Amino acid sequence: MRVLLVDDEESLRVTLAGNLELEGHEVLEASDGHQALEVLRNEKVDLVLSDIRMPGLGGVELLQHLRRSHPDLPVLLMTAYTADDQLDTAVMAGVFAVLKKPFDPEAAIRLMARAARGPVVLVVDDDRSVSTSLAEALCAVGLRAEAVFSGAEALESVESGRVDVCVTDVVMPEMDGPTLVDKLRAKWPNLAVIMFSGYDPRELLERSSGSGVTACLKKPVHPRELLRSVARARGGAW
Amino acid sequence: MSSVGTLSDDVAERELRIIARSREIFDRTHALVMRRTDRLFGWLMLAQWVFAIVLALTVSPRAWTGSASSVHLHVYTAVGLGGLVSLLPWVMMKVRLGQFETRIVIGCAQMLWSALLVHLTGGRIETHFHVFGSLAILAFYRDLRVLFGATVVVAAEHFLRGLYWPESVYGITNPERWRFLEHAGWVVFIDVFLVIQCVQAVGDMRAAARRQAEVELLSESEREKGAALDHALVVLKESQEASIRNERLAAVGQLAASVGHELRNPLTAVRNACAYIGKKIDSAGGNGHGLASDERVQRFRVIIDRELEASAKIISDLLDFARARQPERQPCPVRALVAEAIEVVPKHAHVQIANEVPEQLPVPNLDKDQFRQVFLNLIQNASEAIDRQRGGRVLVQAEADAGAFRFRVVDDGPGIAKDVVEKIFQPLFSTKTKGTGLGLAIVHGTIERHGGRVQVTTEPGQGSVFTIELPRRPSLAPSHDGGPTLARLTG
Repeated sequence: MRVLLVDDEESLRVTLAGNLELEGHEVLEASDGHQALEVLRNEKVDLVLSDIRMPGLGGVELLQHLRRSHPDLPVLLMTAYTADDQLDTAVMAGVFAVLKKPFDPEAAIRLMARAARGPVVLVVDDDRSVSTSLAEALCAVGLRAEAVFSGAEALESVESGRVDVCVTDVVMPEMDGPTLVDKLRAKWPNLAVIMFSGYDPRELLERSSGSGVTACLKKPVHPRELLRSVARARGGAW
Repeated sequence: MSSVGTLSDDVAERELRIIARSREIFDRTHALVMRRTDRLFGWLMLAQWVFAIVLALTVSPRAWTGSASSVHLHVYTAVGLGGLVSLLPWVMMKVRLGQFETRIVIGCAQMLWSALLVHLTGGRIETHFHVFGSLAILAFYRDLRVLFGATVVVAAEHFLRGLYWPESVYGITNPERWRFLEHAGWVVFIDVFLVIQCVQAVGDMRAAARRQAEVELLSESEREKGAALDHALVVLKESQEASIRNERLAAVGQLAASVGHELRNPLTAVRNACAYIGKKIDSAGGNGHGLASDERVQRFRVIIDRELEASAKIISDLLDFARARQPERQPCPVRALVAEAIEVVPKHAHVQIANEVPEQLPVPNLDKDQFRQVFLNLIQNASEAIDRQRGGRVLVQAEADAGAFRFRVVDDGPGIAKDVVEKIFQPLFSTKTKGTGLGLAIVHGTIERHGGRVQVTTEPGQGSVFTIELPRRPSLAPSHDGGPTLARLTG
């Protein structure tokens, strides 16, 4: 894959680039947002990994620019700061994941490879308006998402191998959320699962093992909450 | 207006309490007086009996110069009648001490004793003084009914004996009719003053009882005030300690934020560089001038990885502590969470870690990432505490009742010394040579921000138990409680 690496810290940039190149990837470098935009004017890349705090144009502003100019380009951010105020903005602009420094380069490269493949967020709800609108909200910020309307459809969809996050309603006819989660986890242990429910989802959670459920959201699901949960499910909490 | 109502209610309540209490005190004191006087008379009865017998043997024969009587009869009278008159009150004093009927019987018996003594001394006028003395002593009871009963008995006895056996009363066989009235008049005379005395004494006792009740109530309210003051001091001390802790947290937080962030970039670069070099060495194989086969190089790579990992952990501890973000609560099954934490804890062969959280534990609302950290820190501490030679177990348990969840991390290690326990949740306090002393401070802060409590019980040689109590319906913890947030520190 072709990666654009943006950081004002040269030592970090070159060492990470070295690792990426060692794995056979191609790396372009930029030391701030403006430079990155400059590079992207002439070059095509599969993915951008940018630091958040940089002099000039920061990572989050860069992300917002890219949403307009390159709506489908996956962007990962990295930060040395926890609980950054800008993370909310980044989430709303559709950041793929946020890496916390100091990250493990192996894991970071794996995550970048995953982002470059353009994985799909699967939204499962028998209420079509809910699943469709949530999937649309995800697509609106440049993420890939699909809506399905039953547990059986979800299992079928995951079979394609493109899904890395499954967002499911708890209460559904035929197959309910916890049952679906247990089935998914049994076959794809790395799949991240987010549950949402109009009721207190605890009762149903008590029935499933609860393992692998990275987040529980309450209906009506706010897009910001969903986006944040998806980004966290992919790149870890910040 | 309502405050006035409350005030007068308070006064009325106070008055009622004083009245009730003073009645109690009065009754107790009066009962004491009764019993004391009962005992006095009980023994006086026996003394009078002995005295009467002696009198019968010595004085009476000379008093009775006439031929109508003999020595023996008087001795029998003294022994028989005296015994009769003495024994009933004595027995009642023994079995019905302090009862009303006892003192009535005693009053009557004492008057009969006066009569008997007068009789034995042949109606000597001096012996009649015994009547007045007895009445005065009966006044010790401070009971008008006793005086009344005794007066009736002595008057009736005097009148009847004067009528049928005048010599026994007046010493002569044909006394004037008015002599009875004269005797009775003196008895009434002394009775009047004894009644006045009794009434006054009872009044004094009531007044004293009320004073005592008032003093008691006052000292009780003083005690209450004292207790309230003590409590206030404890609260003050706690809040002072909390503010010292918070100041310390703020200082640590600022330091942590700046140092942590500054170190993160270089640490990431070093990690990347090492990963690169490592892979190069591996792929070079025999061409790497023997680097891949050099035992030290391989060992140093392991050390570099381990130490980088440790440094990253220290920095993230510092920043976790410094940022102190408010929990984002979600329903979170605890058993799975504990399993995740156990997964991450470094394993030691001599420590067994068991997840005993019941599958069917109700699901609490908590910040998953923060609580994973809590369990991780507690489990790691516990397993590090266990002696390498002896080995041991770390158990994670949980239970829930209507009000709260309780999570316990139990170990059977060596326990914690008392002076350590006191400071164990303080930031920067550590007994380990390696460590920031933030692990338990982070636990403490996190639990507090969840509206819960964490405490430790420990027994030297037996192990330690860290208990987290989390209310099921937590009140929102105030944000200033948990130390500085990063956003505030770094602007």
